[in-house]
Amino acid sequence: METVLKNVRDRYNVLHETHTHGVFITVSPNDVIGLLAYLKNVEGFTHLVLLTAVDWIEENQFQLTWLVNNPVLKQEMGIRAFIERSVWPEESVMDSAHHLWPAAKTYQRELHEMFGIDFPDSPEVNEPLILEYWDQLPPYRRDFDTKKYSEETYFPREGRYTRDPKTHMEAKLYAREGKKQ
Amino acid sequence: MRFKDVIYPFTTWKHILNEPRTIKHPEDREGSDRYRGFHTNDIQKCIGCGSCEEICQNEAIDLVEVDGIETTHGDSGLRPKVDYGRCCWCALCVDVCTTNSLGMSNRFRWAVEGENELGEHGSPEDYRFVIGAQNKYWDNVKEGYKKPDSYDLTPSTAVEMDHLSPSERSASFVEMMKGYTRQQAQKEADRCVECGICIATCPAHMGIPAYIKAVREDDLEEGLRVVYDSNPLPEVCGRVCTHKCETVCAIGHKGDPVSIRWLKRYIADHVPAEKYAEILGTKQIEKNGKKVAVIGSGPAGLSAAHFLSTMGYAVTVLEALPNAGGMMRYGIPEYRLPYDALDKDINYIQSLGVEFKTNCRVGTDVTILDLKRDFDAVFAATGLPLGRSTRLENADHKKVFQSIDLLREITLGNEIIVPEKIVVIGGGNVAMDITRSLARMQKQKFGVVNVTATCLEPEGQMPADDEEVIEAREEGAVITPGYGPQSIEIKDADTLLGLRVARCVRIFDEEGRFNPSFNTTDTRYYEADMIVESIGQSSDMSYLKSDLNIAFGPRGQMVMDADGQVNGEPWLFVGGDMVKGPDVITGIATGHFAAMGIDRYLNSDDRD
Amino acid sequence: MLFDDGKMQKHKTGQIVNSTTAEPDLGSHKYSKLWQGPNHPGITGNMSLELTLQGDEIKKMRTHVGYLHRGFEKLMERRRFINNFPLVCRIAVPEPDFNEYCYAAALEELAGIEVPEYAHWMRTLILEMARLQSYLMWLGGQAGAFGMGMVGQWTLYARDRVLDLFEELSGARIYHIFILPGGVRNTLPDGFEQRVNETLRVIEDTLKDVDRVLFNNAVFKKRAVGLAHIDPKWVDEYGITGPNARASGVPRDVRVDNPYAAYPHLDFEPVVEFDGDVYTRARLRWRDMLLSVDLIRQIFARMPKGGEFKAQLPNMLHWTIPKGETYKKAECTRGEYGYYIVTDGSKFPRRVNVRGPSYTHAVTLAEMMLENCNLADVAGTMVSLHTYPPEVER
Repeated sequence: METVLKNVRDRYNVLHETHTHGVFITVSPNDVIGLLAYLKNVEGFTHLVLLTAVDWIEENQFQLTWLVNNPVLKQEMGIRAFIERSVWPEESVMDSAHHLWPAAKTYQRELHEMFGIDFPDSPEVNEPLILEYWDQLPPYRRDFDTKKYSEETYFPREGRYTRDPKTHMEAKLYAREGKKQ
Repeated sequence: MRFKDVIYPFTTWKHILNEPRTIKHPEDREGSDRYRGFHTNDIQKCIGCGSCEEICQNEAIDLVEVDGIETTHGDSGLRPKVDYGRCCWCALCVDVCTTNSLGMSNRFRWAVEGENELGEHGSPEDYRFVIGAQNKYWDNVKEGYKKPDSYDLTPSTAVEMDHLSPSERSASFVEMMKGYTRQQAQKEADRCVECGICIATCPAHMGIPAYIKAVREDDLEEGLRVVYDSNPLPEVCGRVCTHKCETVCAIGHKGDPVSIRWLKRYIADHVPAEKYAEILGTKQIEKNGKKVAVIGSGPAGLSAAHFLSTMGYAVTVLEALPNAGGMMRYGIPEYRLPYDALDKDINYIQSLGVEFKTNCRVGTDVTILDLKRDFDAVFAATGLPLGRSTRLENADHKKVFQSIDLLREITLGNEIIVPEKIVVIGGGNVAMDITRSLARMQKQKFGVVNVTATCLEPEGQMPADDEEVIEAREEGAVITPGYGPQSIEIKDADTLLGLRVARCVRIFDEEGRFNPSFNTTDTRYYEADMIVESIGQSSDMSYLKSDLNIAFGPRGQMVMDADGQVNGEPWLFVGGDMVKGPDVITGIATGHFAAMGIDRYLNSDDRD
Repeated sequence: MLFDDGKMQKHKTGQIVNSTTAEPDLGSHKYSKLWQGPNHPGITGNMSLELTLQGDEIKKMRTHVGYLHRGFEKLMERRRFINNFPLVCRIAVPEPDFNEYCYAAALEELAGIEVPEYAHWMRTLILEMARLQSYLMWLGGQAGAFGMGMVGQWTLYARDRVLDLFEELSGARIYHIFILPGGVRNTLPDGFEQRVNETLRVIEDTLKDVDRVLFNNAVFKKRAVGLAHIDPKWVDEYGITGPNARASGVPRDVRVDNPYAAYPHLDFEPVVEFDGDVYTRARLRWRDMLLSVDLIRQIFARMPKGGEFKAQLPNMLHWTIPKGETYKKAECTRGEYGYYIVTDGSKFPRRVNVRGPSYTHAVTLAEMMLENCNLADVAGTMVSLHTYPPEVER
């Protein structure tokens, strides 16, 4: 693994590395596709395990993670890139990797639908994968509130209430004590 | 194609004689012994802490009142009601249950037959009920999922506090408990389930879950603010509080309770005194021009002084002894409550602008009527300064002492002639204090401890905290509970011989009055050069009685309202051990309530 | 957009994008469109295949999922770590335990928790039992897709025997919620090993029957041999893992490649076959079941007879995990099952991404493979890929 990392460092500007819970390296978004191609074609990381995004809304960034696997050496490496988080309905943009792995197009379709991250040139990237007629904020963004959505879409069961032990005991046991009238 | 590929499938026919494997009557099939079926709840054991509601990710559980379950200390009176339209049968509620009252039965079939009590033919509401309280057929089923032993979602053992070993402490007044480190405190704070059941039981109703949360999240400033909302003596309470809260702690039902007291001490110990005013927002207090006198600088007096001065009152505290602190200074020994910890609390209260007049005894140096004249209101909390005597013959002998007097002398630094053989009569915390103090002094002087404490209550029912008894024994004191004093034997006016005790068979009579009876054939005799009586204390209210129009009840107690406002003398409020308790936290609470009462009284229109 | 008319797509930028295949012109009256699913026995679970047919030959296939979408990954971001266990097991209904294991293992990795030895063995046992029962159900489906219903009756009986064991062990037949961070939830019940062995014998008998009735069956051979061949070259391109890859001669098995739990202490080789068609994949899974039976026997022979089954963790009500990210995987019946978890130091995960093997098998791979295939073979092919829709849409 060290050799691979050294080769990668020689060729690409590695911005950050973590080794604590698996190897994850951060590179600039412009370097990602080149790096993936290098890892696949030269270093034997031929298996694309997954591609997904993490919404760091506080930093106004999307983290994209490509996880690649070298089936011969049984090694795994995560490639991270941070792209600017667009304001919906603007979409963030990232380069597609479908020419390296046809399977990547499904991941990219899902990210487009769920996070509003576009991968131009990726086949069928505009086709919805899971949702139907969804025209709201892409639901996997952090600012999409599932609870609020379900409260607006569905209705609560009537007649339900609950008591907080703390306030209930106060009312029952010591409501008078030290209370200003 | 091979011929056998055509023939082999016909082997299916061999099953033609087999019995069908389908269960013909699946309704008779029982769930396994661990089956996660309908919930069971022992509602007498349940305390309504709401942890099940808290962990339920489906929001299927509500806490509701139930007929026949009263709200008491340690029991919110609420019980879980499950919505089976939402329950996913994961049983995390069972695992988190603090009392192990929740379980699941292995019954999973149930439908409403005919009409329900609303006259409907089954409605979704039928599948929402208080478990264990609505007579379902599985209520007493033993089989079904129960939380396995040795597996808990909340850690059940408390973090131990580092402390001096018996040999290190037996000849020293250095504080015994060392306090939590940050890591220990956070680990202990993590155990809290935030049910809030403790709040009702704390006499001051402190925001316990909130300050424990602050410890957990390492936000000690917030913790200090929560503590000072209701308790201005956290260093003291963090060490010597009777911690009634811990006796009702929800997780104490299946393990150790959260060490609430130690966590409070951790907050107070770890916030530097010079940051208090900034954190608590008391750098600038707007004065309202009114003056209040506080008699006595014990917990109640200090508490009232603190809250009154934060409200803007000019407070003067009058103290008969040379230093403020009352029993916290002159009663509790240094190894339990070091003076610098006490001073940290008092200095902060003083920094609010509270004036302390020490060596000033109301009744001698100044009268209550002077105070009435010079101040807008008066708060009196003079505690229980007088020791009670056994009233045995020779109890007035010069070698028979009151524990309370001895403890005061130790703090004052006056020399006490410690003899080789000492007997203490009493089994409360004060008795343990004097026993352990004298044991230390004997150890320092003679290198050996020879002090015996004896009390009426049998082993396990002594009024003192268990750890006090255990630690006293570790330090070499002999504790012999279950015996009552019969006679004090003397040689002459200067010399004692010893104390004779008899086995106590009953302390209270049928009517519940204190009336001990003894088995006089089972006696013991302890040689003693000194006997210390520590069987209780009483108040001294002579300074109030003479000049005022105060109504006293049948047992000599003052008639007052919940804030301590005295009937007949509305400018006078009382609190502390002399009316309630006795303990520090109750004193603090009464001081707090009185402060609010005084504020209300001085701002009300009907004031004369 | 969903019911597209088969025209070339226009990308937003206005540029014309080539789809993977040439679009059949529906207006030419040469084609018909057929929807297989979302409810169809030939597709395990609720997923629909949009088939464009010329006669009975499929010209184009598009997978449509979403019928089971509950937003699990999103829901998990708003729940305590412990509260996600009742959720993760629902991501793959027939084998919840791989979800529980991967999720728990990822949390343990990020929080630095040591799992007791005994718990490792228990987990391995559970995972192998889960594999068996999932395969058994699948086997019935595969036979059923070619019209042989009674194989399913036999295997479901055997599967129910395994579910009885799960019920006895965990208190639930399907959603076990038995693997928790730090270990497992309970010890083995008394006499469990003996009852497992009885069930293993039932399974072995069933598998013998299946061998004669299915694998030595002229009908099945005629239909399945040579059908839906997976080229070893596709394995990496399409992210194929597990039995689908192993049947094409590519030995991908996480249990062997990156051993986890107690697998390092077990003796076994991955099962590999080479022909890569429906028959071979079925045969491989059949052999994998026998391997599982053997592994379960090995586990009982080698596991400690008792011990601590769960490490004591902090209070689950306010458990926080330091900032970090990790990927943990396990070999399920369909291939590599993995959880990519990102934490941000709070009480909730920042992001959980579930890598279900069906994600690639059911969409990209199936869309490619079904092209030019006969309509009658769709069910057999789809079942042979062994896909579960919930892990596609999570």
